[in-house]
Formats: sequence, structure tokens, C-alpha cells
Amino acid sequence: MSEKTYLQAISDGLRQEMRRDERVFVIGEDVGVYGGAFKVTLGFQEEFGPWRVIDSPLSETAIVAGCTGAAIMGMRPVAEMQFADFVSCAWDHLVTVAAKQRYRAGTPVPIVVRLPSGGGFSGGPFHSQNPESSFAHIPGLKCVCPATPADAKGLIISAIEDPNPVLFFEHKHLYRRLKADVPDERYTVPIGKARTHLEGDDISVITWGAMVHTAAEAAKELEDEVSVEIIDLRSVMPWDKAAVLESARKTSKVLVLHEDNRTGGFGAEIAATIAEDAFEDLDAPIRRIAAPDTPVPFSPPLEKAFIPQVSDVVAGLKELAEY
Amino acid sequence: MATSTSVDVVMPQMGVSVSEGTVTKWLKQEGEPIEADEALLEISTDKVDTEVPSPGAGVVAQILVQEGETVDVGTRLAVIAPEGAAAPAAEPPEPSKEAVPEPATAQAAAEASAASDGPQQTPTAETVAEAKPAPTEASRTTDGGGNDDGRSFVSPVVARIASEHGVDPGQVEGTGRGGRVTKQDILGFIESGAERPPVAAQPEEASPEAPQPPSSPTPAEVPSAPPTPAPPRPAEPARAPAAAPAPTAQAGQPDVGESFEPITAMRRGIAEHMRRSLDTSAHVTTVFEVDMTKVVQLRKQLKLAYEQGHGVNLTYLAFIARATVEAIRNWPWMNGEIRGDKIVTKTFTNLGIAVALEGGKGLIVPVVKNAEERNLLGLARAIADVADRARNKKLTPDDVQGGTFTITNPGGWGAIMGTPIISQPQVAILDVEALVKRPVVVADDRGNDSIAIRSMMNLCLSYDHRLVDGAYAAQFMKELRENLESWDESAY
Amino acid sequence: MAVREAEPLSSLREVREAGLDREDLLDVYRNLLITRGIEERGHILYKQGKIPGSFYTGRGNEAAAVGIATAMGPDDVGTPLHRDMGVHVTRGVEPWRIFAQYMGRSDGPSKGKDGNVHMADLKLGLLAMVSHLPAMLPVAVGCALAFRIRNERRVAVAWFGEGAAARGDTHEGMNFAGVRRLPVVFVCDNNQWAYSTPTHLGYSVEHLADRAAAYGFEGVVVDGTDVLAVYREAKRAIEKAREGGGPTLIESQTLRMEGHAVHDDAFYVPKELFEEWARRDPIERFRSWLRENAEMGDEEEDEISGSVKRLLGESIRRAEESPLPDPSELTEGVYATPEDLDTPHHK
Repeated sequence: MSEKTYLQAISDGLRQEMRRDERVFVIGEDVGVYGGAFKVTLGFQEEFGPWRVIDSPLSETAIVAGCTGAAIMGMRPVAEMQFADFVSCAWDHLVTVAAKQRYRAGTPVPIVVRLPSGGGFSGGPFHSQNPESSFAHIPGLKCVCPATPADAKGLIISAIEDPNPVLFFEHKHLYRRLKADVPDERYTVPIGKARTHLEGDDISVITWGAMVHTAAEAAKELEDEVSVEIIDLRSVMPWDKAAVLESARKTSKVLVLHEDNRTGGFGAEIAATIAEDAFEDLDAPIRRIAAPDTPVPFSPPLEKAFIPQVSDVVAGLKELAEY
Repeated sequence: MATSTSVDVVMPQMGVSVSEGTVTKWLKQEGEPIEADEALLEISTDKVDTEVPSPGAGVVAQILVQEGETVDVGTRLAVIAPEGAAAPAAEPPEPSKEAVPEPATAQAAAEASAASDGPQQTPTAETVAEAKPAPTEASRTTDGGGNDDGRSFVSPVVARIASEHGVDPGQVEGTGRGGRVTKQDILGFIESGAERPPVAAQPEEASPEAPQPPSSPTPAEVPSAPPTPAPPRPAEPARAPAAAPAPTAQAGQPDVGESFEPITAMRRGIAEHMRRSLDTSAHVTTVFEVDMTKVVQLRKQLKLAYEQGHGVNLTYLAFIARATVEAIRNWPWMNGEIRGDKIVTKTFTNLGIAVALEGGKGLIVPVVKNAEERNLLGLARAIADVADRARNKKLTPDDVQGGTFTITNPGGWGAIMGTPIISQPQVAILDVEALVKRPVVVADDRGNDSIAIRSMMNLCLSYDHRLVDGAYAAQFMKELRENLESWDESAY
Repeated sequence: MAVREAEPLSSLREVREAGLDREDLLDVYRNLLITRGIEERGHILYKQGKIPGSFYTGRGNEAAAVGIATAMGPDDVGTPLHRDMGVHVTRGVEPWRIFAQYMGRSDGPSKGKDGNVHMADLKLGLLAMVSHLPAMLPVAVGCALAFRIRNERRVAVAWFGEGAAARGDTHEGMNFAGVRRLPVVFVCDNNQWAYSTPTHLGYSVEHLADRAAAYGFEGVVVDGTDVLAVYREAKRAIEKAREGGGPTLIESQTLRMEGHAVHDDAFYVPKELFEEWARRDPIERFRSWLRENAEMGDEEEDEISGSVKRLLGESIRRAEESPLPDPSELTEGVYATPEDLDTPHHK
């Protein structure tokens, strides 16, 4: 056990897997010599060589489709999109080839695509997005969003192990902000299982990624007034329906929170499911707190109004509590 | 390939978006021989003109679509029969909707899935009713600001808990927005047991009666049930004078040999309602003996047909209910009410059927609405339905409101007489006792007496002497007895 | 650099030098007949309403497909397209499975989950194509990447049409392959028409093979109706890649002899063009060559075509007996399980 940042935990997990299994390789822009735009693969090329830490041309298509072909040939590629936002250039490959190959041709595609996502530092519209919901919508893809260093390491290892295309959304804002004890040995976090970040009785907050910590701060502020339960989904696809419903039935008041835009964000799927399956257990309407339906703005006051803040969550919790 | 049986020629789908084609030229006529894969006809579609090769070898037995006709993809165009076989009987050209069994054209697949979608989407009225315990009120929501009268809004979870425990949320103090009863409020209310919230502004209507022993599932014949308090009835205006709540003394600690258990909300409700009913009505009970022999025979005759033909268990209670409803028509005050300074008579009879809950938990009186519109079969079915739903906790608040006359039935245990307590604000309640074979004096047409064995049953009517006098009650019962003793099949 | 134009082969000796003996040549001929036979019978089945959806074939491209597949090694892989049925046939896909695939039956390689020639048997080294062309080109590059990382002497073959060359996938895949000198051979099926789009509305260079220079490797143009010429170029390119020489772009020239699909009668193609290329029919051309240069006589020829006919007849019967998939199978197989990885490739 040692203290690691969220970023170091990802690095650690990736490195361990590359040492353990020579089929694992990393490919992306600036991942080799430069060590990755965020330095996740710092030192990797020195250790594993240029054919396992591959500096690709500036082509998300070449990266993702290349990974698909290599995976079909037995490798375990881990692609890095420099920013999650750039995955739209490889959208066709993920959706057309990677997602559907198992279903229609019986061919598994065991690839991992790492996506540094999220905002909060004036990254602007093209460096701050959280695109998990559009991929969660495509049958055949898996999407994971760790919120803690321990989960980040466990999930990157699970993602590499998984025989399906897994999109790994690592929140940039958590990279260096979060530090925690992370086991040194190899371990996995199951994909599709949520984690109770905080236990409570009055309101369930269903959330993932950086918002888990926003929710935790809000809960702390209200700890004398409201008993808040926070469910960290960890996986958006597949997601832990049973855990969410259990929490909803327990508290009867649900707040779904995510950083992605509100309309069609994955919170809509969660809210609809709870309404369908736990209608008779609800003591209040299901509320969603999410970013408004705009591109991510650049200027700090705009971005602050865009990303759900602790105060927004506090207000939402209070309103639900009083309902 | 040579055909050993007849083979159909169908309009092919020349492209994904093509849905029909036109026969432009038959290259063979009926009766002509043809080889497999030989061109049989020419067609024209939106996308392309082409030939259609024959799917089999033999003879063109039938041409079903003429040159110039446009038909849907999958339509039979012709039939190829093996040489020497008789032509198949002439059939009219198939309507375009029918898909050919073999290849799944996009259209056929779409039609198949449309057909299978249909039935599944129809919710039964019952499911819909169950899903919305507090129908109109539950829909006023999300906005938060919309509730002026927060007290009367019941959320789904509160409605469910209330229904499961037979509690009226109107009795519970609400701490939610606008005074709404929250989940915590109602759970606290149920668990608190000995403590009682202050009396509500709207006093209770629901009432129940008889100190009858709660009977559990009975001998097949008669669904028995001692009466019960009616659960949730939101917002009914006060009609009976509000009874002062009984002060609940604290029980202290159990003495040696004693044990305590909490009084449930349902038990508390029953206690309060029984007391209030006795304090309100001037109870008198009259007893009539009824010769049920004819009904017994009739029931034996009809029972099997009812079960097999209608899936309904035909009970004595159904006969009695039917006869009662008939008698009420001529004696409407039995179905009436004292409301303030007015006597209310009603054109409808909502028949309450008392049901005992398992384990001595309590009583409930679901109501068969508009019983006067139902015949024997309809009543038998309705009674079975409410009894079943009562035992499975599937009643809605609407099911236990609005009764005008109650029938209770402890006879399955063997009682031959009872003095039931009226369910307020009704005016009467009918107790059905055990069916017993007795020796009875019967007279023949010429007035000669003899002893016969007959199936006898006592019916005990408690009535409110404030409104109904003895003579009125007795005449009502006389007519009820006559209805049962001379059951006219055709009338029912 | 000017693109090289391939020379035809004119004698058995040249053929032997290129790596084929007489028996191999007869196999090539047989594969050509099977390929055309499958597609011709498929047309008939389609018009008889037995094949749902749309139906694409590659009449006129048989020699190009068979020629290249014949040059592939047993452990090489490829991403053939809808004009390349000859590749599936040559690599050993059983014709009855192809008919079952067309008809959406459970025994088709995609078990009814996808249609027409969107199929492949990975055990035979083939990856199933998709509709978004040429999405499989950079995927084939990815296969070559795996070979390079593992230092395996295996080659990937990536097919694309002259129309699809307009898409970024072509550029991005070739660029990556050229930069890393990956063992991949690019084959452009240039049949002159992308649906109704003629070549001059699709690209502006004289030959698509010209573009190879832009990626740092060699391009060659070959007459796609000459199976032996195609074979020889393919063999050169594949062996070069195998030895670490990097990619080659082979542009195979043919004419698409039918419409884009069965529902298209290609009215926009000048009749003279059809007539001209009909005279260069690849199968007829090879049949003549065999009779002239390999002493194929009537008896041998009849024996081959007779056995092909029987094979295809049986194949259709067998395919028709294959059941349609059950609706309960609809939701199966969206996600892979660890057991799915238990294949030679993935160990």
C-alpha cells in the first residue's frame, strides 16, 4: 500500500500490466518520447521500447482502428486519446467496427481507449467534455469512470482484461488533486459494480467521476441536517442497476448528478429506470443536476456556471430534503 | 431442382427500399412446361427492371397476377406444379399484406414484430389501478410549487405503505412540504404504536362493526369475513359527529405472567370505529330462518358450469347478495343514510363484503360497486375478485369506500346467530349464519303437514332504529327470504 | 516516380518461377468458376425472393480476388470487400455457408446477424467487412502492427475500392503503414464506377497507385482481368512485406460488369464499355490461357466445371435446410466473454 495520485494509480496499473503481459502495448499521440500529454506514460518507452509504447501519427482513426486490428490478432492494445474530446474523430471506428464485431462476426475486440475527460480549468469546448453517454448508448461498448485512485488502478486492469472494447474515462481534474492509499499489488475492480462512497438514509446521490467529490463536499456541508448516501457508479456501461435501485428504495429520494450535459446525459437513463422500477418507493420526484445544454465555455465565470458546483448540489439536496 | 410438390413464385424485393413491383410480361402461360431457373416473367420496380427465374421445374399451374398489375413484395405471382400433378384449387390472389413464409423480407419482419407488439402493450385496468393508489393526486407533482394543499398529496411510497398497513395518511401528521405526509412520517406513525397523533380536522367515516371472531380462509362455500374498518379515505367531509379520541393510558410494565405487544394502526382503527358505531346508531337485530334447499340444489347444478365456463367459484354468498340487492329495491331505506337532518336514499347499492385478514390481523370491507346492475354471475365474480384482492393486499382506496349496505359471513365457523355492528354511515348490516340441515315442518298443497329435512340458514339483520322501524326491517327480511326460497332462475 | 505497370505472364515456365505449378493453376481455375457460380446463383435466388436485403456481387473482379488470395500465405490475413468473393472461396470458405449467409440462415458465418458478404471466417485469416468503406483498411494496418510488434513473418492485405479512396481512413491507414513500414499490402479494386460515380469524379490523379509515393512506398497498376499478372504482383508485394520491405499499393483495373447491386441496372455506364470489357472476361481469358499454355483439354475442363456445378447445387440445398435464426437469439453475443478469447490468436 502506498499513497498515489489518481494519475499515478493509472500509470501504476498500466505499467504492471505491461510487465505482466507482453501482449499489452500503448499507442497514442506523444505517449512515447514525451511520456504522454499528462505524463501518464512517463518512463514507459524507456522501459518497454518503441514498439510497445508507440508514438502514432496524428490520426485517431489510425490509433483506434489500428488497435482493433491488432486486438483481433491477439494483442491487448491500450490507446490514449490525448483528450477525450478527440475521440469523435475515431467515433466511426468505435461504433462501426469495434462495437459490432463480436455480435455480427463472433470476433471479440479486446481494446482499451483511455480518455482524459472533464473540465474545470478553462480548457474550453474541445478539451473539457465528458462524452460517456453517447458511447454508453452503443451496444457492444463498455464505459468506466473511476473517481478514486484505488478504483482507477483496479479499473484500468479490469479494462485490459475485459474481452470487449472498454472506454476508460479518466477525469483530468482528479489527476493530481486526489491522493490516496492504493494497494501495490495487482487487483481488479469489477466493471459494472458501483461503490457506496458514503452511507446515508435520507437522500441517494447517484453519480460518477469528479462529481463524486463534489457530492461528498455538499454532503459534508449538510451533515447535521440531511443524511446523504452517495453511490459512485464507477461504470456507466454496464451500470449497477441493482445497487442504485436498492439505494433508491432505502431513501426514497434520489438526486442524479453528472458533469456531462443534461439532455440525454446518462443521468436520464438512470432516472427513467428508477421511475420504472421503483415508482412505489419514491417519496419525491427524481432530480437531476448536470451541466446545461451548451458546449463547455472557456472563461472562468462561464465555466463555473456550467460545471455543477458544490453549492448547486447543496441546494438540490436541501430542496429534496424538504420535499 | 425438380419439384415434387407445388412451388410458389413470389414478387422479389429488388433493393432494400423497394416495396412493390409490377408484372410486365409473362414469358410462359398457364399449362406450359418450365425448367428450374428458366426466366418465367419480367417485372418492373422503382429501381430496376429484371426477369424472375422459376424456382422449380414442372408446369406453370396457375398465374395469379396479370400483366400490368402492381403488387407488394412477397405476393404470390404464380404456382409451379410438378409435371402430371393436378393444378391446385384456384385461390383468390392473396391480399398484399400476407408475407410469404420463406425468406424474411424486411416487410414481413416488420409486420411480425408489429403483431407481437400489440397485445403486450395493453395494460389491464387492474394493473393501471394498482399502479396508482392515489390516482389524480399523485400526478400533481414535480414542480414542487404546484401543491397548494400539500396535505392531500400522497406520494407513491406513502400510498403503498398506507395501503399495506391499512392506515389513512389523512390521520398522520405531515412534515413535508405544504404539510405533506412523508415516508418518515407514516413509518413513524405506524411504528409508534401506543402514541397517537392529535385528532385530525376531518373525523373518520370508515366504520366497522361486529364483534365477530375473525375467521380465516373457510370452507370452500362461503368466503367469510367479519367486517372491517375502511382504510385510506382522503378528504371526506364530516358526517357523523366526531367522536372524542379515547385517551390512551400508558401500559407501564408487564406483570409476571403477562406479555405486551403493540397495538397496530389497523387494530386501533377497528377499536375506535366499533365504539363509535355503537354510540351512533340505535342497534336492533332481527333474525330470520331461511329454507335454502332450493338454492342448494341450484348451486349444485350451476357450480360446475360456472367454474369451467367462467372460472368463477359460485358461493352461497353470491345468491344471498343477489337476493338482498333485489329486496333493497322495494325497501330502499335499508340502503339509506342519516346525513345531518336529512334521510338519504340511493339508487345504487354498493355492497360491502367483509373479509377477515389472515392471522387475526384485522378486517377489511371491500365494496362491490353498483351491485344492483349485476346478475348472479356478475356478483359471484365480483365477490371472488374483491375477496381475493383483499387477502393479497391489492385493494385500492377506492375499493373500500362508498359502501351502502354490508354483508358479513361468519357462518363458516358454525355460528347460527349474531348481532353485527353497523358500518357507519350505513343503516343496516346482514349477518349470514351457518347452513345447517334440520328437520322442518312442511305443508303440501292441500295443507297436510309432514317433516322434511331441509337446508336451513339464519340471516341476522342489525339495523339502525333511528331510521328503520321493526316492521320495515321485518318486511325487508321477509322479502329477502322469499327471494331465496323461491329462487327464480330466469330472473337472475 | 511513375507507377509501374505489370507485365502479363505468357508461359508455364514464367508461372513456375512465380511459384505456381499446373495443379495450382487448375485450382485457380476451379476457384474462379466457384466464385462466379456462387454469385450467379445468388442473383437467381435473390430474384426468387429467397435472399433478403440487398445483394452485391463482383462480376468481372473474380481474377483479381482469386489472384491475390492465391498469393497469400496460410498465416496471412486480409480484409476483403464485397467484390472479392474470390478471396473467401480461395481461402476455403465452404460455398454452402456463403449461401446460408446470403439467406440469413443460422449456419452463415454471421448467424444471421449481418447479411450479404459482411462475413468472414477468422480461422481462415479473414476479417468481416463493414458498410462504412474503407473502415477495414486501417484495421488491416492494425493487424500488420501486431505482426510487427511480435516480429512475426505474417502479412495483412487491405482491400479498398477506388471510390472509397476518397475517405480519410485510406489516408490515415496508409500513412501510418508507411511511417512504420508495416507488413501490409494495399489492394485497390478499381472497377471504374463507385455506384454511379465515375473515376473522374472520385479522384484527380491518373492512377490511384500514384498516391503510394505520397506515403513512401511503391505503387503498381495491374490488369485485374489477368489472374496470373495479379498473382505475380501480389506475390511480389506480399513477400516484400514479409521480408520487412514495407507496404505496396496494387491498383487492379477492371470494369464492374453489373450494377452496384442487383437493384441497379447501371444505365449510366456506356454500353460500349460493357462490350469492350466483356471481351476481356477474366474467366474466359484464363480458360483460353490454360487451353493454350497448359494443355487443358475438353475432358479436364468438363470434369472441373461439372464438379463445380454439382458442388454448388448441393451447397444451395444444404443452405436451404439451414434454419432461420430464432428471435430469442437476438440479444445474444453483444458482449464478448473471456471464453471468446480462447482462440489461437488470443493466447
